[in-house]
Order: sequence, then structure tokens, then C-alpha cells
Amino acid sequence: MSSLERHATGWRAAAAAVARHLFLDRQAEFWLGELDRTRSLLETRARVVQVRSETHDVKTFVLQPSSRWQGHRAGQYTTVDVEIDGVRSRRCYSLSSAPGERLAITVKRVPGGRVSGWMHDHVRVGHVLGLGAAAGDFVLPAPAPAKLLLLSGGSGVTPVMSILRHLAARDQVRDVVFVHYARSRADVAFGAELEALAARHSGLRLVLELDDAPEGPGGFDEARLAQRVPDLADRATFLCGPAGLMERVERMWQAAGLADRLTSERFVAPGQVPRVAPGDGADAQIVTVRLGRAGTRFAATSCSPLLDQLERAGERPAHGCRMGICHSCTCRKRSGTVRNLITGAISDAPDEDIQLCISVPQSDVELNL
Amino acid sequence: MHLRAAIRRGAEPVTITSRALTRAEADAFGRELDALRAEVVADLGQRDADHMRGVMRDVHRLEAAGRLLLHVGVDPASFVIGTGCLALAKILENMEIGHNVMHGQYDWTRDPQLASHGYEWDHACAGADWRRYHNYEHHTFTNILGKDRDVGYSFLRVCPEQAWHPRHLAQPLIALALAFNFQWGVATHDLRIDEWLAGKQSLVSLRARARPFVKKAGWQMIKDYGVFPALALWNAPRVAAGNAMANLTRNLWTFAVIFCGHFPEGVSVFREEDTRDESRGQWYVRQLNGSANIEGGARFHLMTGHLSHQIEHHLFPDLPASRYPEIAPRVREICARYGQSYCTGSFRRQLGTVVGRILRLAVPPRTARARAAGPVATRSVVAA
Repeated sequence: MSSLERHATGWRAAAAAVARHLFLDRQAEFWLGELDRTRSLLETRARVVQVRSETHDVKTFVLQPSSRWQGHRAGQYTTVDVEIDGVRSRRCYSLSSAPGERLAITVKRVPGGRVSGWMHDHVRVGHVLGLGAAAGDFVLPAPAPAKLLLLSGGSGVTPVMSILRHLAARDQVRDVVFVHYARSRADVAFGAELEALAARHSGLRLVLELDDAPEGPGGFDEARLAQRVPDLADRATFLCGPAGLMERVERMWQAAGLADRLTSERFVAPGQVPRVAPGDGADAQIVTVRLGRAGTRFAATSCSPLLDQLERAGERPAHGCRMGICHSCTCRKRSGTVRNLITGAISDAPDEDIQLCISVPQSDVELNL
Repeated sequence: MHLRAAIRRGAEPVTITSRALTRAEADAFGRELDALRAEVVADLGQRDADHMRGVMRDVHRLEAAGRLLLHVGVDPASFVIGTGCLALAKILENMEIGHNVMHGQYDWTRDPQLASHGYEWDHACAGADWRRYHNYEHHTFTNILGKDRDVGYSFLRVCPEQAWHPRHLAQPLIALALAFNFQWGVATHDLRIDEWLAGKQSLVSLRARARPFVKKAGWQMIKDYGVFPALALWNAPRVAAGNAMANLTRNLWTFAVIFCGHFPEGVSVFREEDTRDESRGQWYVRQLNGSANIEGGARFHLMTGHLSHQIEHHLFPDLPASRYPEIAPRVREICARYGQSYCTGSFRRQLGTVVGRILRLAVPPRTARARAAGPVATRSVVAA
């Protein structure tokens, strides 16, 4: 950074601090929002400009992000903030569009999923969503490998689709095999587009493995994959799909000594951590509490509030009433599941604020302390 | 009627007493309130978030209108209206938004703009200081003599149980001065200047306590009397005067509302020894008996930040305040069943008794009984 740039950054930070002390930041944020709901100085937002049904349980939301959006690389994901009945929730969704195209996320309706269900049922054209920054390492190296194997199952097709669209847009589909596992033809998202791409690009070979195919049992099979893609050892492979499929592919690649040729993307939904039945001392379990900032950890039980256990472990977190009314001990929980002793509410999503004095851990927990 | 007449005549207080509850009764009382709380929590949703954002929108619009009128106007009418808009904006921002958001009433929305820990209000008191001494100290140790420094703000004698001191003779004038400068009283409350004067706090400690206040108050002064007047160029004196008037209006209003919350006739104070090992139920009983409501319409409640429902606020400090009017009849019904008084009255009645108390308690106790009993004649709500 040049000294000029350093000075400019310093001045900008000072101006922002002055604006904050004079509450001008709040004013500006409000009036910007009044002009256009996607405009904000604090967060990136996007307006939904199109909603497409890909299958009966997969929808694509085409987005017009605000100018704060920094762009993405093919295969990355972003966080999406939605407000459901007054409560904000954040989820990670893969971007299915290629860079340079209209931004799009593709969302599968998870059975019982609060956010995905709400996205499917309530988000219409014109709706404004919060966006994080694009993130993730599920991206093509530069330059793109000459021979590629794209392996996906179910809704795992989304980041792979972004990669394929990116290659197609730059006419770099030289030698790509795309193997996709799905329950039936009707369950294949982007089915028509995939076939059109295969017709247009001679370098793309499409292999659809359907559970209900007449010629045999569905699902993943090592031998059949090796038979369909005989040169898989020569290919850089990108894998995204259900946990079971990913495990078997990873084992197969490891056995063949190809682990370094495999790039994987895993979807993790909140609430997948096993929980303890609330209020039953007999079910007490030992969990680990990690303190993110201090970099320490200690063993805790699922029987007593985090504040008490932190203090027993020698920590001195900020606190007050010890009865859940003053919010002095409110602290950011980075991960894990805790139960509120007063309301019984479960907090299982990452990056939620919890009250230490009335929260008992239900799984390993990481706190921003 | 009898009560009002008695107070107007300046007679000795007529106290409506709550029945002393056993620990088991208090716990049953607490369980009913917990159930009511759970019901509201389960029902929190979009309308609560929309309410707060709606108030925020009103505040921004009022402030913009007020500043516009003050900055570009030249006539007295636009000065009065502009100042009024600004005062209204400050009152709503401090009371309905700042106070309530900083209580964590909207933390459940997970909206960073409604988060208690990040919020800073348009007030000389630093948000972090306020959250500590108000949310924790005042709301946990409400009306416990010696522990709740909000009882008369440690320099006014607002209940007969506080020991009389000759300096209390001046308290009518001191209270009046406080009313006009209320934001400075609130902002310096946690510096504990009284403790420093009494030699109980070192200068080093006072300086450390004063640091956030000096920073926040300094910026507030720069904002109200430096930057905004300067932006108005030749209109600078007019803008500075308008800002001062708006701050003053807010001071008087908040003083009146807040003094009606804990100091009217019918509110109890407690001894520390009676509140040791208090159960959650007993904490509820103390909160109820230590607070008083003001009756009024929906707009009045909004203008007080719903602190006119001080009782509901002290029972459920982190429930969205706009819910208090809805649950008040249920709270009152529960109180009636447990023989607990529910101190409420018109603004005139409550403020009248506060003024009466400040005047009456300025002079030493008259009756021999009161003198003998001195500062420990507190009523216990816990049956012996």
C-alpha cells in the first residue's frame, strides 16, 4: 500500500468515526433505504428479479444485488439473510450462476426446513434479501484443467452448474464429463439446460444416473462409475452431493491414490448436531466449550448455565443479573447448540447472540470470548 | 377519591399495602407471571419488528423536518414547530427506541440495527454505561435501599425510610434543577460523584468512570452546538437555540415520567437483609411493589416509551415495551388474586404525589414514631 493510499484509508476511517458520533451514519442508512430498499451502507442486499422452478422442490432465485456486491467465482456460495416473522435467519446457498451472468441462488426445499420452506413459499419478485460475501474454495484453478470430471448428486448440482456455465460462457468446455445422480428425471435440476449445453459443446459428455432407470439399480456404484468414466484418474474431479455419496467417492479416490485430484463441497445445515432432551439430568452429556478469541477450551456439562461453567473454568465474562433480564452477558455464539433455560428456545444456527447466564450447552459450543 | 384528597391536603401518606406473601405464594405468583411472559415471547413476531422500525422511521422524519425548519426558517413559527419536531424526535428516540432496544427487547429479531449491545442513543449518557447501571443494577436491585442508586439518585429523599439530612432542606430546588438538566443527571449518575465527595472513591477511579461519559457528552455537545449550527451558517444561533430547547423539553418530559415510575405514593422500598436469598417469585413481588404506572392513551404510552407501564416493564424488562398495555389487565388480575396492590393513577395524581413527597420529605420526620424507626422502617413483602 502506498503512503497516499494509507492516508486516504486513514481519512476515510476518521470520517466514518465522526459520522458515527454525530449519528449521521444512521441518518444516511435510513434515507438510503427509503430511496431504495436494496441500498445500504452496512450490508449487501439484493432484489429478487425472477423466481424459477427447477424441479418440484428446487427453485432458482435470480437476484439484482446492490453495488456493494463484490462478485463471485464459479462454484462459490454466499450467505443469505431472510426475515421470517420478524426474526432474521442466515443460511448458506450455492450460487448457481456463472460470474458475469445475472446472479442466482438455487435452493432446495429441505423437509421441515424453516428458511428453505419460507423461501419457496413466500419469496416473490421484488422481495429484498440480505447477502453476505461470496466464499468457498470449490473453484476451478487457473488455468482450468484440460480434463474435468464434475460429479454431483441431488441439489449438489448447484455449484457444479455454476462451474459448467462459467466454462461454457468462455467456450472452455474442452473435455468435461458431468456425472449427476438423481432420484428420477423429474428431480434433475437444470435438466433441459444441461442437455442443451451437451448438444452445443462437443467437449461435454453428460451422464445421468437415475434411481428409477429401467436398466438397473440406481444410486452410486464404484464399478459403474469407473466403467462410465474409464479415464477418471486423468481428470481433475469436482464433487458435491449428499453425505453418503461424497463419502463413497472420497474413499474410492483415496483408494486409487487420487485424493489430491478431488475437490469437494459439503452442505451443512444447522441443527444437525445431536441434541440432549431438555431438562433431564440423566441425559447430561460432556461437551467442549471453545473460546474463539482467547483460543482456549474446557470441558463443560449440559446441566448448568454457560456463565457458571465459564467462571468455574477461571474465565471472567461480562455479566450482571444472572437471571436473564439485563442482557449484560449477551455474547456471540459462533457455533453449537444451546438451550435457553427461561424460554426453552434452542439456538442452533451459527453466529447467534445468546445470554450466557441462562443458556445451557447442548453440544460442543464455540463462543466469541 | 379519599386518597387524592388526603394527598392534596398534604397529610401523612395513605399507603395501600400489599399482603405479605409466603415464599411459596410468591413463587406461585412468579409462575403465573412466567407463564404470561412465555405467552408473549411465543407470540413475538413481525408486528413487533414493524412497530420498532415504524417508530424509527417517524423519528428520522421528525428529525429531518425539525432540522429543516430550524436551519432554513427565519420566522418564530418555524422555530417553534421545528424545535417541537426535534424535541419529539429526541423523546421518542431516547424513550421508545434507545431505552427499549438497549434493554435487549428486540435482540430476538437478530437485526443488528435492533441489537442491544450495538445501540447508541442521542443522549449524553454513554450506551455501555447505561446498560450496566440501568439494566443490571437498577433492574436487578430495584428499590433496595443502599443497592439501587436510582432511589432518589442518592441525593434526594423520596421515601420516608431514607434517613433525613439537613441538605435535604434544599431538595425542592435541587429536584427542579435536576428536571431542567435531567440528561446530565442520567449521564453522570454512574460516575458516583457523591462517593468521591464522601471520600469513598478515589480520584483515579472517578476519572476512569468519567472517560466514556466525557467522550460521549463531548460529541453530543459538538453535534448539537457545533456541527449542526455551523451547517446553518448565519442561522447558527437559531439552530443552537432550537437544539437547546429540544434537549430541555426532552429533559423535563423524561424527568416527569421517570420520577412517576418509582417515587409516587404507594410504592415501597426494601431493606437489603429482606431481599437476601430472594427467589424468582419474590423478585417479581418486589418489582411490582417498587413500581408505579401512569394511566393514559396509546399515544401517551408511546411518548413515555411505555414507561407509563413501569410495573409491566419491571416485571418483564426485556419484553418489547409496546406489549405492556396489552398484558397490563392480565398482570392486574394476577396481582388482585394475590392481594398485591397495583399502583396506578393519572399523570396528575402520580406527579402530584411525587412533588408532594419531595416537598414533605425535605423537612425532618415529624412524628416520634418515625424518628424512632428512622431509616429501617421499610415494609417487608416477605412474611416472617
